[in-house]
Amino acid sequence: MEPIKNFLRGFFGYFKQSSTEYIEFELRELENVFALILMASFIGIPSPPTTLVLRLMPHMVKEIKVMQQRAVDLDDVFAEVAGMFDID
Amino acid sequence: MKEYLLPQDEFRVVFVIGKGGVGKTTTAASLAVALAEAGYKTLIVSLDPAHNLGDVLMEKLSDEPKEIMENLYASELDMEGMIKEYLEHLEKNLKNMYKYLTVINLEKYFEVLRYSPGIEEYATLEAIREILSEGNNWDVIVFDTPPTGLTLRVLALPRISLIWADKLIEIRRKILERRRAIAKIQGEQKFVVEGEEIKLPTEEEEDGVMRELKAYRGEIEFVYKTITNPKKTSVVAVMNPEMLPLYETKRAYESLRKFKIPFNLVVMNKVIKLEHEVPEIKVKIKAQKKVMEEVRKEFEGVDIVEVPMFQEEPRGIEWLKRVGGMIVGSS
Repeated sequence: MEPIKNFLRGFFGYFKQSSTEYIEFELRELENVFALILMASFIGIPSPPTTLVLRLMPHMVKEIKVMQQRAVDLDDVFAEVAGMFDID
Repeated sequence: MKEYLLPQDEFRVVFVIGKGGVGKTTTAASLAVALAEAGYKTLIVSLDPAHNLGDVLMEKLSDEPKEIMENLYASELDMEGMIKEYLEHLEKNLKNMYKYLTVINLEKYFEVLRYSPGIEEYATLEAIREILSEGNNWDVIVFDTPPTGLTLRVLALPRISLIWADKLIEIRRKILERRRAIAKIQGEQKFVVEGEEIKLPTEEEEDGVMRELKAYRGEIEFVYKTITNPKKTSVVAVMNPEMLPLYETKRAYESLRKFKIPFNLVVMNKVIKLEHEVPEIKVKIKAQKKVMEEVRKEFEGVDIVEVPMFQEEPRGIEWLKRVGGMIVGSS
């Protein structure tokens, strides 16, 4: 009985996981865009008011840490995108 | 007295603008003196980095409003000092936040920030905002501004900043919505970075970024609403009867109209009036007449006041009272 239960849990877990796959991807991209806009002046994009950016940055620390970690963990961007669109 | 110079809704803000050297400071000071004489509690603030308000009033001024005469207070903002102070405050703040970044020499970076483009405009806007937020202490606030170019950019900033704030709020809202959606299905999301567990906010109230964005938007909106309200703000342009100041005033008039900032009065300063004809400056007088005609044509619906060229420089309270009377129209 136990193996069947485990199998079912894994089975439904997979659906649950894949159900938010696209939202998670979108979220990551939105977070990237947001951070990119705030730090745009570093790469020469016209940026939002300096005052506003400097006020927002301290609140972005946690998020940037997570993003950094994500960049460390990410080894194949193309594979991720290909996987999302079911390209094998 | 001219209605657009008097308080109608809480307090009145008057920006005195103009090309360099046309007599902005003298005009602003005269205006302030005349209003103070009429019984309005008036503050005159110089935003011009090349301070000469103190020279006109013949008093030494600082950041703190100083009483010059009954109902009249004056201050000169030290822009450079403000920028320095502002950056030092930020540096301290950021250093606490980014402890792990101390390897990078932040001090060196902040050294450069002082010279970053636009910082002066933002500091000026910040200074204006601070004064306006305590506007209820006064009946009238007169701003003596830096030359036209910088002033126009500062006055345009609130609207531009509002657009930025709105866009960023929009993206932030999308981020938080998606975080909530994911948390609802997958449960609370936790991230582990270098052994430290991190939870990212999902609600607008608990998100520091969103709170800061909204606070910033509120502050800027207050400035925007104040400077675009004809019951609160008037712009007074000072010019000389010459072609170049006329062109510049025209351009200023057009940009201010674009930003919906009320433009009410042109002070034509240093108009040469002669009792006898002097052949040596006949051409000059003719050119002056032409500019005067042009001004009346160009600025329809805007009041125009002429202030003659005096034999001596109008400095000190007595002189300012006299000139001020001419501008506000009480004498």
